Amino acid sequence: MHCEQVRNLLNDYIEGSVSGAIRDRLEAHLERCAECRRELQFMQSIWRGLSEMPEVAPPADLHARIMTHVRANVRAREAHQRVAFWRWAGAAAVAAGLFLMGFFVAQSDGVQAAFGFGGKSKRVAEINQPVPSGVFVQYREVEQGVRLPVLEARMNRAATAELRHASNSLHETELVWRGNLEPGKTVEIPLQALLQASSQRVLILWWSVEGQKRVLFVPAGYPPAKVATVRLQAKLSDALRQLASVYQTPIEWVPNGEEPLVVLDVQDATLENALHQLLVGSSYTLKRQGETWRVAGQ
Amino acid sequence: MHAYDYSSDEILIERFKEGDEFAFDLLVRRYEQKVYQLAYRLTNNPDDAADVAAEAFLRMYNSLKRFRGDAQLSTWLYRVVSNVFFDFRKREARHQHVPLELPTEENEEPMELPIEDESVDILGHALREEQKQVLMQAIQQLPEYQRVMVVLFHIEERPYEEIAQILGLPLGTIKSRLNRARNALRQLLEPYRELFGIESSPTVGQPQEATDAL
Repeated sequence: MHCEQVRNLLNDYIEGSVSGAIRDRLEAHLERCAECRRELQFMQSIWRGLSEMPEVAPPADLHARIMTHVRANVRAREAHQRVAFWRWAGAAAVAAGLFLMGFFVAQSDGVQAAFGFGGKSKRVAEINQPVPSGVFVQYREVEQGVRLPVLEARMNRAATAELRHASNSLHETELVWRGNLEPGKTVEIPLQALLQASSQRVLILWWSVEGQKRVLFVPAGYPPAKVATVRLQAKLSDALRQLASVYQTPIEWVPNGEEPLVVLDVQDATLENALHQLLVGSSYTLKRQGETWRVAGQ
Repeated sequence: MHAYDYSSDEILIERFKEGDEFAFDLLVRRYEQKVYQLAYRLTNNPDDAADVAAEAFLRMYNSLKRFRGDAQLSTWLYRVVSNVFFDFRKREARHQHVPLELPTEENEEPMELPIEDESVDILGHALREEQKQVLMQAIQQLPEYQRVMVVLFHIEERPYEEIAQILGLPLGTIKSRLNRARNALRQLLEPYRELFGIESSPTVGQPQEATDAL
């Protein structure tokens, strides 16, 4: 037997699945050849090392994390199905309404008043003191630790706004919501349907108010982690998405046209520490706004 | 705690099919350790492992109603975990971020050694720790399929037949591919021979058998 034939059989030999004459010849070779014997020892040592690998302790919140993920997704799917139904029902109602309206328009010019169309909408009460304006991520407790993210947008002046969802890259976005923000009025945009559709741990949202753009990294809503060990080397946007995922805390990014490559290597660090380290030497500053961390370009 | 805490998987699955969410909770408790272990071996990262485990159980929730019991639930779950892992890797590949090098020997983390006990082989302990790390890193460098096979066979100690079921491949294919995976792993470990108690150069020879060079 040649060394090469022997080497090809070593795994089978260790396993005990070589028998009879082949086994005898293999063992005879091993007796003569120190190199192959060393190779056998090396392989045996690898086999042993693998089988002696100790069990790892799962994180203390593993069960909660699993159940949260399952419940949030199941609920989001149910909500999605309800929305789909109401969309369908709404479309059907509009179609029926249009039909009726056509009928009434043919009958009378006063139909608008009868239906309340074209009437004066209620004026939004003017507010005296400015409220903090912007977009806020709120988590609604659904039940037993299930949290669902909701966006709250409010302005202290009238503005048009747009929300887009980036499924893979920041350049491929899909419109989620477009509308007017009125002073003192809060618009709520629930995100569970989006979460369900994307199956990502973090939603990448592209929020623009009157042309001003910012990116929101909104985690699915597992319990937030206080400290974590993070190593990464990535473009800033990707690094922020990863941090939002690791800490399960929303991060807002206001890009200034520069997207540096960042490196981070921290152990048991809070999100604040991690973000500080990440931004050292960059043209970005850090601020906290409620539950959200904000990384803004200067 | 509960009347059917000790019920078989089949009974819990039946209860779940009838709409009993508590039965699902129990099934998760029963298998989350196992699922997490496998996920951790594949990802080598506690956070990713928890994500893979959570997604695997979500898939279990969604398809348990169609589970016919052809295979053991654990076998079926291993299959789901492997698939989730493959999917995550595919998705990761689309986000092209460059991970830092894995920790090397220069990473001077003070190693806690049980020095109070004189009988403990301190050097041996440190070597075994390092060996484990090197093994885990080498596994991470294997292509996904090979990694799953090596982990299932060598660490989780599943028999060939079960691995064939988990991966949906014929037994012969599993055996030959696993052999290839082991050889790949061995090549990756070549620079670390000494950690496995093998002298790197034949001229140095093994102390116990220095005369046996012919």
